[in-house]
Amino acid sequence: MTRRTPYLLSAPAAVLLVGLLVTPVVLLVRVSLYEPSHGRGFFAPGTWTMENYAAVTDADGLGRLGFTVAFGAGVAALTLIVSYPIALFIRSRTAAWQAVALGAVLLPKFANALVLLFGLQQLLGPAGPVARSASVVVEPPRLTRNLAGALIGETYLVAPYAVLVLVVHLARIDPALTAAARGLGASRIRAFRRVTWPLSVPGVLLAGYLALMWGLGSFLGPMLLGGPEQTTLSVEVHRQAFEYGRWPRAAAGAVLLVATVGLTLAAYATVTRRREVV
Amino acid sequence: MPSTGTISPTPGTEPSSARAESPAWFGLNGVSFAYDGRPAVRDVSFEFSGQFLTLLGPSGCGKTTLLKLIGGYLTPSAGRVVVGGVDVTALPPEKREIGMVFQNYALFPHLSARRNVSFGLEVRGLPHSTCLDRANDMLRRVGLTAAEADRKPGRLSGGQQQRVALARALVFGPRLLLLDEPLANLDRHLRDTLRAELRRLQRETGVTTVMVTHDAEEALAASDQVGVMADGRLLQFGTPDDVYRRPNSVSVARSLGEVNLVSGEDIGAGPGGTYLVRPEWCQLGDAARGPRVWHARVEAVEFLGPDVVVDARCIGGPRLRVRTRTAPGLRPGELTRVSIPADAAWAIPDACDGPPT
Repeated sequence: MTRRTPYLLSAPAAVLLVGLLVTPVVLLVRVSLYEPSHGRGFFAPGTWTMENYAAVTDADGLGRLGFTVAFGAGVAALTLIVSYPIALFIRSRTAAWQAVALGAVLLPKFANALVLLFGLQQLLGPAGPVARSASVVVEPPRLTRNLAGALIGETYLVAPYAVLVLVVHLARIDPALTAAARGLGASRIRAFRRVTWPLSVPGVLLAGYLALMWGLGSFLGPMLLGGPEQTTLSVEVHRQAFEYGRWPRAAAGAVLLVATVGLTLAAYATVTRRREVV
Repeated sequence: MPSTGTISPTPGTEPSSARAESPAWFGLNGVSFAYDGRPAVRDVSFEFSGQFLTLLGPSGCGKTTLLKLIGGYLTPSAGRVVVGGVDVTALPPEKREIGMVFQNYALFPHLSARRNVSFGLEVRGLPHSTCLDRANDMLRRVGLTAAEADRKPGRLSGGQQQRVALARALVFGPRLLLLDEPLANLDRHLRDTLRAELRRLQRETGVTTVMVTHDAEEALAASDQVGVMADGRLLQFGTPDDVYRRPNSVSVARSLGEVNLVSGEDIGAGPGGTYLVRPEWCQLGDAARGPRVWHARVEAVEFLGPDVVVDARCIGGPRLRVRTRTAPGLRPGELTRVSIPADAAWAIPDACDGPPT
């Protein structure tokens, strides 16, 4: 073992990081600084410009940016609200049922996300079973091609990961603590509020971090279950690249997205650091 | 209950003297419980009117389950639990006013020792300052300093955690204190210190205590009554002297200490029957006298400090383990004399669960 050994051992990871993260981002930045090529290649060489960044940060662009962050936060919040009770339920089962329940939560991840969301479209659509059974009593709410649909769709994709993280964290809390709290006179609800919940906060913050990470990059949910109003940065990047062929504009949008995700997660980590998480 | 004590009795708690007159103050009646169809406690009944009860048995005998049934953490499939003269079988743990020290202490890791102790007072809606005052007081009584009381459980030693758990279980003035192997996780020296403190606190507070242990010595030393358990059943319930000297079965005899089991012929009491002779009841060498004295060959000698244990094969008699103060110069292979005093053997009433050896 020499002093250099640790660096040598981390070489494969470094190669992977440079090859799969740094290089594409550098190329992305490069593409974003030129005019579109109108035909051959991703950009027109020799046309250095900041025009693409001006375009993605104009009034529309900033609105989209704000919506993307708010939508990501919404997905994270909804994910936690849905996942926490599921994780609590799974934790309260015996070991065998825990495995079955976790399997059920993760089962959708074995199918393609597109297939899942097309299914969800059918389920929530105006002619779907949800709308039809609701229409017996009330005017059925619209659950597709709007914000509700986009949120439900994206949360559906993110929640299994959050459940997994929360189950692992909750499993570390000794069930005897709840018993002890109740023996000391705390009701079931009080024992949860004063013992289980505070001890699970680190897990909640970590699950929230992951959900926010995915939520900021939301694409399929807004794309397939949202309306034109629900254009996140990812959706806009896709549209610029594949509908209009404006690769440099798409690249500028992608750079903006990477920066936004980085800054938002850094802010989240700073705010939650005192809780010793992330 | 000390008149100036900081532990004020909860409503409904009678003074211990009054409760002693009512035999049904604390008891179980036909209590059974099964985990997923596997019976863990089978038809246990007893009435206890003393101060300190110990449930003794090997691990897996159902004694901890029984403690959880008393505390309300489990609900019996049959039978009744009576605490304070009231049937509490249907009450959840938070309605039972019973303090429990869990085997791993189950201290709240996110709260300081002080907040752990005040928890039971806070959930009763007492003013914050009262809670902390009484918690501090209780922590002092179990021997924790103010600096230690500020620490979270992870930064306390095993013995300190045990004291915090005890203070937490006592501070709200419970009707009953349950201790699940309270000394099992501590080293020998600390165990002896804490056992003495446990008894002192128990006497000071006057709270009726039920302790679970697998250590016979601990059970005999601490208790007014001992319940000996095996395989989910309560085999015998009696004073330490009863269960040690007059066990009702071979299992009980074995679970309280070493045994010599001899037949009626061996001791001249007529055919049949199984008799218990504790090793320290036998006499060895020059001390051997009485109607039945054997010549015996020494098979092993074990020096324990205060005592010497000698395994001897009696010529024309049983093999006996003898525990005595001294056995000067005795070596394996030598001949000596062994006797069982006339009134020392106990006829075990129900000896079918183990043949004499």
